[in-house]
Amino acid sequence: MGRLVRASGFERFLISASALLLSVLIGAVIVLGAGRMTSCETAAYTLAFPGAFVTQFVGGDALFAMGFCYDPIALYDLLFLGALGDILNDPTNGQFATTIAETTILLFTGVAVAVAFRAGIFNIGAQGQLVMGALVTGVVLVYVAPPLAGLGVFAAVILLPLGLLLGAFAGGVYGAVPGALKAYADANEVITTIMLNFVATSIALFFVSREQFFKDPESFANQTVSLPDVAMFPELVFRARDDVSLLALAFGIAVLVGVWYLLRHTSFGYDLRTSGLQPDAAEYGGVDADRTIVSSMTLSGALAGIGGAVYVMMVLGNFQPGVPSYGFDGITVSILAGNNPLGVGFAALLFGILKSGSIVVQVGSDVPPALVGVLRGLIILFVAMPEFFRMAGRKFGSFHQPGEQPVATDGGTGGGVDE
Amino acid sequence: MRDFDRREFIKTTGALGTVGLAGLAGCTGGPGGDDDEETTTEEPGTETESGDDSDDSDETTTEADSEDSETTNVGMVYATGGLGDGSFNDQAQEGIQQAVEDFDVEYEDAEPDEVAQFGNYQQQFASSTDPDYDLVSCIGFLQADALSETAQNYPEQNFQIVDSVVEADNVGSYVFREHEGSYLVGILAGQLTSMSFSAGAGSTASDSTNVGFVGGVEGSLIGKFEAGFTAGVKAVNEDIDVQSTYVGDFNDPSGGKEAALSMYSSGSDVVYHAAGNTGTGVFQAAQEEGRFAIGVDRDQSVTKSNYADVILASMVKRVDTAVYNAVEATVNGNFEGGALTTLGLPEDGVACVYGDQLGSEIPEDVKTAVTDARQGIIDGDISVPDDPSNA
Repeated sequence: MGRLVRASGFERFLISASALLLSVLIGAVIVLGAGRMTSCETAAYTLAFPGAFVTQFVGGDALFAMGFCYDPIALYDLLFLGALGDILNDPTNGQFATTIAETTILLFTGVAVAVAFRAGIFNIGAQGQLVMGALVTGVVLVYVAPPLAGLGVFAAVILLPLGLLLGAFAGGVYGAVPGALKAYADANEVITTIMLNFVATSIALFFVSREQFFKDPESFANQTVSLPDVAMFPELVFRARDDVSLLALAFGIAVLVGVWYLLRHTSFGYDLRTSGLQPDAAEYGGVDADRTIVSSMTLSGALAGIGGAVYVMMVLGNFQPGVPSYGFDGITVSILAGNNPLGVGFAALLFGILKSGSIVVQVGSDVPPALVGVLRGLIILFVAMPEFFRMAGRKFGSFHQPGEQPVATDGGTGGGVDE
Repeated sequence: MRDFDRREFIKTTGALGTVGLAGLAGCTGGPGGDDDEETTTEEPGTETESGDDSDDSDETTTEADSEDSETTNVGMVYATGGLGDGSFNDQAQEGIQQAVEDFDVEYEDAEPDEVAQFGNYQQQFASSTDPDYDLVSCIGFLQADALSETAQNYPEQNFQIVDSVVEADNVGSYVFREHEGSYLVGILAGQLTSMSFSAGAGSTASDSTNVGFVGGVEGSLIGKFEAGFTAGVKAVNEDIDVQSTYVGDFNDPSGGKEAALSMYSSGSDVVYHAAGNTGTGVFQAAQEEGRFAIGVDRDQSVTKSNYADVILASMVKRVDTAVYNAVEATVNGNFEGGALTTLGLPEDGVACVYGDQLGSEIPEDVKTAVTDARQGIIDGDISVPDDPSNA
């Protein structure tokens, strides 16, 4: 484990890559096994010895051949490349747009969880914070947007930041609650954040399922009235129907860089990181531990809330209960990224590809969705595991190497050297 | 085009010799599969084709052939509950499976987890070229918003929507006259509460004339069930009380149980539910109290056979018929885009199906009354309200 903790950035990349490869191989075996357990008319994939490559030159039949109902190669191809769509000929195709949209929202929840992690807090409540952000954004903008709709582009300039602020505010407040409970009442944040997720979902359902509150009276579904187009993120190069915006993506990346800067180069970030690494030492060094907990949870909640606002203003166009589990995925994204705000970008992209790719697999092959879920889970498990052990090792073990340089990709906490 | 990449990919892998691909002889499917080279070429979308040919021109011919073939391809986009819900989605799948048996049809299932994914799934099917889908069937009213946008963007693609109306030239909308079926079970409930009847685990008392309705989420759709049921009960006898409540959730059995328990304890003999899985609680309450319940959507005395001893009947909504009809029309080349198909009693879109266990014990004169009411609706003698405020 000490070896893992000390691994350099390049080594860690290699570890991740081989973990990915291993997960694909194991997944392929599972797919083949599942393919033997179902019945189909024709084999989607045949394992033969000698293979067709040999027999087409030598002639004759394979000595041994076994057919499988699912083709693992085609499956992984659909899962990974399918998510990109026909990117070479049409960079703005719908499937790639979906990948980008998923990635964009995961950027926010991923970085939200990462911030809390760095402060030593396990924020499982990103989902609830995202729901609150989305709800408040969706509900308030419905009333604010129509009067401004006449202003055209100018309205968008007002409404987009307003929506994001609303999301940040609602999510921030909702994140501050478990923060305050932890700081001043010693309540375990894991429990409180999990529970507040349920509270958020139920609050949202309550308000959105009743016409005297915010339910759209025109619709069968439980949803708020749709926002006018000016309150939506502009599509820019993508088509309107793809529900994606490069502006939102750019904003997400800017937020990642901003959070990275905040953590690395400001005194608040220093307080936050030292509290996470060694709370007692931080407090001895003059950090107000309680305040740091509350403020880092508020920041974390606000980031998740912005994710909710983006979800409403980019994807849905209104608020509906049954928000996808972006908040929970954000936890995995964050661990995958080693809690590094910049790494969150890549982890979110991997998640976005897997999410979007599994849609392609469902449509394009007979493989049942549950099996695709297993493959996705395997990939995430294998890629995240080395990183997880590394984090655990750093936290609980003493593998400190005196002369070690901080690793750039994880924000330099590994060596314990801070500027 | 994506498929082109895939082929490339498979070829490269094949050429590397790492994995042998053989679409040739000896190609057996999973257990029970039969091997046949011909089948391979006929099936569009099977991956085996890439293994057995070595030059591109050959392959393109195969592709072209499969596109011209008579096989009708249907893409199914289910409601968010997904398959295995024992109700709505499963029934839609039964419809397409029936169509596969009767016609040369192939289908692909897609189960979105979230409302936000509907549009993407619809587009996936609409933009697919291998196979080129002849019909995309969208199950559930929640898909309507997404579909009205998708349909506009793919004017050449035919869509079907079940349980809602999308006004577009390439969308066939299928809705049900749930109030008509509910009227029949209302007659049944009204008749039975007026007499002393006992069967299975339940009984009714003639001194109390009181029935109940438990709805899922309030809205115009479930309102049709309530309106029809109330009208049916009142048609038997104006004086029968109908208690009506909405749990606010389609997946809250404990809420459904509580609602039904309070109805039974205040004298209801029969409770009809239109509340999805919430209705399971209604059945539990009926068993505990020794009263009756009426199921919805499918024959619930079969799908929820644990409760067969209290389920008098079910108001069946034939989602499978809607899917089957749309596929049949597509196969025959007379699918009508822009049309609104309403499935009521005459079309067997809705029906009152007696319980598997209790059905035989229901008195003949009650059944006759139900049959008469059905005929009356079909003949136009009885008009059933679809709004609870008119019932």
